[in-house]
Amino acid sequence: MMIRTTELSKSFHGVEVLRSIDLGVAAREIVVLLGPSGSGKSTLLRCLNGLEELSGGSLEVNGVRVDADMPSRRKRSSFREIRRNAGMVFQQFNLYPHKTALGNVIESLLTVKKLGRAEAEGIGERLLERVGLADKKDQYPSRLSGGQQQRVAIARALAMEPSVMLFDEPTSALDPELVGEVLEVMRQLAREGMTMVVVTHEMKFARQVANRIVFMDGGVVVEEREPEDFFRDPRSERARKFLNQLSDH
Amino acid sequence: MSLVWDNGLFLLKGAYYTLLITVISMIFGLLIGIVVALARLKGNLPIRWLARAYVSVIRGTPAYVQILIVYFGLVDYGITLGPITAACVALSINVGAYLSETFRGAILAIPKGQTEAAYATGMTSWQTLRRIVFPQAARVAIAPMGNTFIGMLKETALVSVITVTELVRSAQLLIAQYFVNMPFYLGIAAIYWVMSTGFSAILHAIEKRLSKAY
Ligand SMILES: Nc1ncnc2c1ncn2[C@@H]1O[C@H](COP(=O)(O)OP(=O)(O)OP(=O)(O)O)[C@@H](O)[C@H]1O
Ligand SMILES: [Mg+2]
Repeated sequence: MMIRTTELSKSFHGVEVLRSIDLGVAAREIVVLLGPSGSGKSTLLRCLNGLEELSGGSLEVNGVRVDADMPSRRKRSSFREIRRNAGMVFQQFNLYPHKTALGNVIESLLTVKKLGRAEAEGIGERLLERVGLADKKDQYPSRLSGGQQQRVAIARALAMEPSVMLFDEPTSALDPELVGEVLEVMRQLAREGMTMVVVTHEMKFARQVANRIVFMDGGVVVEEREPEDFFRDPRSERARKFLNQLSDH
Repeated sequence: MSLVWDNGLFLLKGAYYTLLITVISMIFGLLIGIVVALARLKGNLPIRWLARAYVSVIRGTPAYVQILIVYFGLVDYGITLGPITAACVALSINVGAYLSETFRGAILAIPKGQTEAAYATGMTSWQTLRRIVFPQAARVAIAPMGNTFIGMLKETALVSVITVTELVRSAQLLIAQYFVNMPFYLGIAAIYWVMSTGFSAILHAIEKRLSKAY
């Protein structure tokens, strides 16, 4: 298993937003998290790389284990190790505005991997080429379209050669005509065998690319199915309602 | 007016001390400001509390009193500082408190997503501060920081009271010698104006360079 959570729970100020989540993701598997707003999808994703503190339970990513009741120093260093192995892509891109596209991509190579600049730039240029932005390497994010920014953000996440990629609604902030180029990069990654956990509202993508749908509501996993089964015949009432609401729009 | 010209060299020496004290206090104030801002944002509870108390006390008392305390007050405890040293110490401590507020605000103004993006690639919190947060915060802080510096240039007038022969005291000495007031006061006013305008221009140039980057 690339990712395994065991009775993972998370509260904000005493309010439980994730309740005893047991989720497993195998290597090369693509899992899409679906669920209504506020169901805890982002929180779950952010717990996986320690952007949110766990309140209970434990998780393991690529062999590195974190327990909610570990001493916080050990947790911190374990999460730092996990983060080197898990790239994350955010809804709002979160590119560094004071660095060029290439500067964004190579930042972790310089600071975390401590590579020399020349070597880092070589890797960075290849990554930008992979997301189709070789010609934009010297541009600052403010000069790039949303779709281009998100592709740079994907290249930045790939720079650490992660064994798993976490996507939190990567296309939700994009104009409709720019969604395709980002999804295409993600499909490419999927074809190359990247392990991916994706929160998205792009149902077509979920249907075509996912190996498994994990449907969440109210902080629990309600249903876990193969995409075809899930979309054709959701078992739970809540999933049915969720899918109906989507098709109403 | 010719009296001013005749004593130009003497006044310029006063201007030199004004400038010297300003620049030294700027540099140390900057360091204090950064350390205190970090202490307030990242320190543990006692450190945060200490930093807050420092800022509150300095901002809540007149710089004039702070200068008196450093120069005259400390003597009671056997700490005797020269006038220029005392001036620099007092003003560094003073300006450091104001700058720490500026820096704290600037750091807090950087969106959380920036830090999270850096953490997500495995960067430590210190690396994130240094490489991602500070460069962006500097851009936010530069304008208010410039105002603080220019304010301080003028505030150095206060240290005439502890016998530093900066501009104001130079004028006072000349006045005592020649028994005329206005020309000397106007003279130093003009010098202050030239210096603060010069500072503004320099800061403006830095600001422009910083913002050109993106
Ligand atoms: N930092 C926080 N402090 C307090 N409550 C939070 C915080 N972050 C999330 N929550 C709450 O946790 C619950 C789950 O939020 P989360 O963002 O994980 O949902 P989501 O499924 O990603 O929703 P969406 O589809 O709107 O992005 C929500 O009720 C939200 O209000
Ligand atoms: Mg979300």
